[in-house]
Amino acid sequence: MQAYGQLHAELNAAWAIAKKDIAIYYLKPNIIVSGALFPLFMFLAFAAGKSAASSVMIPGLIAITILFSASSIEPVSIPIERRMKTFDRLISAPISLHAVVLGESLSGFLYSMGIAVVPLAAGLLIFGTPIISIAHLVAGIILTSFCFATMGTLFAAYPTESPGDIMSMLNLVRLPLIFISGVFIPIESIPSIGQGVAYLSPLTYGNDLIQAAYHGHTYFNPLLDIGMLCIFILVFQIFANRLYRRWNE
Amino acid sequence: MQAIEVDHLLKHFGALVALNDLSFSVGEGETFGFLGPNGAGKTTTIRILTGISPPSGGAARIFGRDIVQETTQARKQMGIVHETSNIYDDLSAWQNLMFTAELYTIGRKEREQRGKELLELFGLWERRNDRVHGFSKGMKRRLTLAMGLINNPRLLFLDEPTSGLDVQSNLIIREVIRDLNSRGVTVFLTTHNIEEANLTCDRVAIINRGRIAAIDSPERLKATIQSVQSVEVAFSGTAPGREEDLRQLPNVSEVRKEGDKFRLFTRDPSHVIAAVMEYARVHDTRVLSMTTFGPSLEDVFIRLTGLDVRARGVSTVD
Repeated sequence: MQAYGQLHAELNAAWAIAKKDIAIYYLKPNIIVSGALFPLFMFLAFAAGKSAASSVMIPGLIAITILFSASSIEPVSIPIERRMKTFDRLISAPISLHAVVLGESLSGFLYSMGIAVVPLAAGLLIFGTPIISIAHLVAGIILTSFCFATMGTLFAAYPTESPGDIMSMLNLVRLPLIFISGVFIPIESIPSIGQGVAYLSPLTYGNDLIQAAYHGHTYFNPLLDIGMLCIFILVFQIFANRLYRRWNE
Repeated sequence: MQAIEVDHLLKHFGALVALNDLSFSVGEGETFGFLGPNGAGKTTTIRILTGISPPSGGAARIFGRDIVQETTQARKQMGIVHETSNIYDDLSAWQNLMFTAELYTIGRKEREQRGKELLELFGLWERRNDRVHGFSKGMKRRLTLAMGLINNPRLLFLDEPTSGLDVQSNLIIREVIRDLNSRGVTVFLTTHNIEEANLTCDRVAIINRGRIAAIDSPERLKATIQSVQSVEVAFSGTAPGREEDLRQLPNVSEVRKEGDKFRLFTRDPSHVIAAVMEYARVHDTRVLSMTTFGPSLEDVFIRLTGLDVRARGVSTVD
């Protein structure tokens, strides 16, 4: 009963943290640029002029939109909160660091879900791109969003008060992920060494699920995609918890 | 049960020893002052007692709960008012308060009722829907204190609560601390303002270089350095070399010029008073005022920490 009470408290607090982030950070200019506009420009830079079908382009756009939008909130909000000392308020509340990490990730997750609707709606309404499997799409968007939101929280554990420091590190990881995860180049067309690295990228599995929603087939088994994304979420969450504990001393 | 028990606490950051075998306890309902120069270990102690930072050794308990093993249970009993007014500028006063209440899992009805009471108490109810961004420093400080009290804590950590505030905010905060104390809330106060500690605290600990240099009631601490008594005297007019003349008087150990007055430190004020009157007669000047002082808490602080910033003209000690 006590454990249930504490779990309830932790989830409530995580939701409160997410609501606070939504109210404060969603409309910050640097978040709009890095979370919404940057993936669009990235996509246009690589996709414009190509004669690929919209059923190939739209899932790729959704995948990189999720990658950038989900991991854009915490790398901005947490350094700002460190500078304003409001982060101390979170880490001194009667909740575990897991709840803080979850709450921060939740705000990135919800932001990403909202932004992902834009390419999704564009595919449906402008290009008339059919969705073959709603289940793959929902699983892909939800798990990929949560995975990259948690990754953003993990990077934001780095003890700096400058969002730029974290964004620089994050882009060192995010940009290569686009090229090795089958977003623009199918995995089977990547050189074998690249394919090896692709297995280490959470975007590979998220993109595979989202592509399947439009093509009806996956490179991996969909259950493997889901399982790998869940493992990445868990690993990011645990590492984030440890890093926040270590670097808050 | 003690509100705070600190038992041989150690904290080091690499080779730097921040806290060295710190032990003390704070009784329930006590207002406890924690004084020390910058870098003495005050903030490190608070971060350990609030569970933000783990100790390198020793233990700390809050109402019997180990702060490392039972962090959440210990934190539920405490309110924390950090040194900086750490509030969200982009939220309203009401949103800040409700957010804090949600972190403490206080139900909607209770948090709204408590929030209203606190904002009224701190004179912020009329501004509850305004973004904090436009608040003055004093208003932000009052809101920070209200957020520290939202969970009705049994123990309140106050880090520099009145530092640099306007008179109105100062008065409100001091009154609230007195009220909390009368209601049995334990207050752990760090402050730069030694006089504030003197007036507010039941007991004071002076920490220096990670160790407790002294811990007792302000009056008992003052009694330990009775040798630091003083006579403050003001003369009509000024005269060159007067400070040096006064230093030559018998039983005077030190002379400080403080504005238009001189402060003569002595073990024997009565003999110094007679000597000063004789000095005035010989130099054909009038004594405008003369006051004797016992040792102040600041004198104790300076003696124990080895600081002497007053001699350089600074009135408070960090």
